[in-house]
Amino acid sequence: MKFSTHIIFLGLVFQSFFLNANSLKINGFVAQGVIQANDSNFVTDKGDVSIELTEVGVNSAYRINHSFRVAGQAVYLDGGNRYPDGFRVDYLFLEWQFLNSTNWQIKTQLGRNKNYHWLYSSTRDVPHTRPSIVLPQSLYFDAFRDVALGVDGVVLIAQTHNMLGEWDINVSYGDSQLSEQQKKNLLGPNATGKLKHDLDKQFSLYWRPTLSNFQFGFSLLDADFSYKRGANDTFFDGDETSQRIMFNFLYQGQNWEIASEVMRERVIGNDVLFPGFSSDVTAEGGYLQARYFLSNELTLLGRLDIYDRDRQDRNGKNVETLSQGLVPGYFGLMDQATAGVTWKFAKNLQIQAEYHKVKGTGRLAPIFTPNTILNDSKYWDMWAVQLMYWF
Amino acid sequence: MAFFLNSFSIKIHPEWSSFLNQTRLHFFLAIFICLGCLLSVAFSVSSQVPEVKVVVNPSVESKEMSVEQIRRIFSMRQTNWPNDQSITVYVLANQHQTHQVFSTKVLGMFPYQLERIWNKLVYSGLGEEPIKLQSEQEMLERVSEVPGAIGYVIQQVESHNVNVIKVLEN
Repeated sequence: MKFSTHIIFLGLVFQSFFLNANSLKINGFVAQGVIQANDSNFVTDKGDVSIELTEVGVNSAYRINHSFRVAGQAVYLDGGNRYPDGFRVDYLFLEWQFLNSTNWQIKTQLGRNKNYHWLYSSTRDVPHTRPSIVLPQSLYFDAFRDVALGVDGVVLIAQTHNMLGEWDINVSYGDSQLSEQQKKNLLGPNATGKLKHDLDKQFSLYWRPTLSNFQFGFSLLDADFSYKRGANDTFFDGDETSQRIMFNFLYQGQNWEIASEVMRERVIGNDVLFPGFSSDVTAEGGYLQARYFLSNELTLLGRLDIYDRDRQDRNGKNVETLSQGLVPGYFGLMDQATAGVTWKFAKNLQIQAEYHKVKGTGRLAPIFTPNTILNDSKYWDMWAVQLMYWF
Repeated sequence: MAFFLNSFSIKIHPEWSSFLNQTRLHFFLAIFICLGCLLSVAFSVSSQVPEVKVVVNPSVESKEMSVEQIRRIFSMRQTNWPNDQSITVYVLANQHQTHQVFSTKVLGMFPYQLERIWNKLVYSGLGEEPIKLQSEQEMLERVSEVPGAIGYVIQQVESHNVNVIKVLEN
């Protein structure tokens, strides 16, 4: 599957190149960093200094005619324990622009699409477009990353404007392929069965008031998963549903940029842990982020991010009680304070450095079977430095 | 400790005191005048900001545009002219003074906002970014040659085959 998509992608690039060099665009990025997450298994099991912070990508787009266009991006990623490493097709789709007037632009994209619904979701693996190396884990949590990357399916994108300002409407429908490591990040190393992302429906609406520096957004997510038990499996056949409602806000001033996203996420689980198991928990989380542009080259970042796995149990007491003391309460939350700096020291070259102080382990893999041995500290911290180049 | 405190305490004679008060008055007057000078310089500088002209290829029928429409074109939302002709957008590098003046004075946006919009288009597959050029001379040459092209310059355009768009203020 992986190999064939690479072939398709390379074919797309070369075919396009020979057809018409003017209609072909090629862009990409290369980034390498150093990262350490002390007292947690976020990056490595031992919590030592790691160079597993590699992101490389190349993309291309080819316009066939006025209405049709193809676009694709292949990436190589290594983030340690954060997500599955290796090559992957990030997106690859056929775009059909079926309305392109001065008031409305409506198009549909068929194939592997990015998640266009959140502030940073569509370019979360493109280092120079991110405010920080590690994104706020309340919303962009890495253990669940592959599911939130996008969908294999169809996307509808509509843009319009009126007296009130500019409007973007995005709808997506499809599923995503879950790798073995992604399954283990969610369920743990003992899951031998098959985890499937059956259906993913998302909607988002963005509004930028006329000639202002503000943007407001709203999004909805409904994702269904099913699990088929494997040989000698500690898990059982079952299903899980995640439903999210999110609001976001962005202000872009001359010296300041303020961004915030908040969410409420309902997670309903049936049977997976044992026959008859049933769980219906609503989590809440969000972040407030400020960036200050000291100059064209230097940007400072400050961010506070909070996450509670159960809004009825914000300090995680129930987690402790239900597990009969096996899982500490701090697995029910994860709050994160981040300070960072970005220095763009040459054209298309920049270095980013950041420090995170974290309370709680609620977003660390495996999500359903917490690793209490590696994550035995309520407070942990992390630093990262990454050098990035793009073209 | 007392030794240090005493050595720094100053007793002021009443005559000196009135002199100091006068000096203070002069000091504030001086500051006031300086500020006035600075403000007048600032305003004269802002009035000296060179005017950026939005230029299009003669094939483009539009003669005037609103700021909102120009924003939509340079943020790559509107990709066709009203007569269905494709728009080819040319920009200068982020650091180029003309780009900075165009971005802030004409569009009312900061260059980093445009950069973020274009990055999202390019690295998520959503669309294309404008074509980046090195100089105003190159900009005028391309806009005059490519049907449906749009760009901007500060320099005189009379000798080039381009039309200047009238920007409608709100």
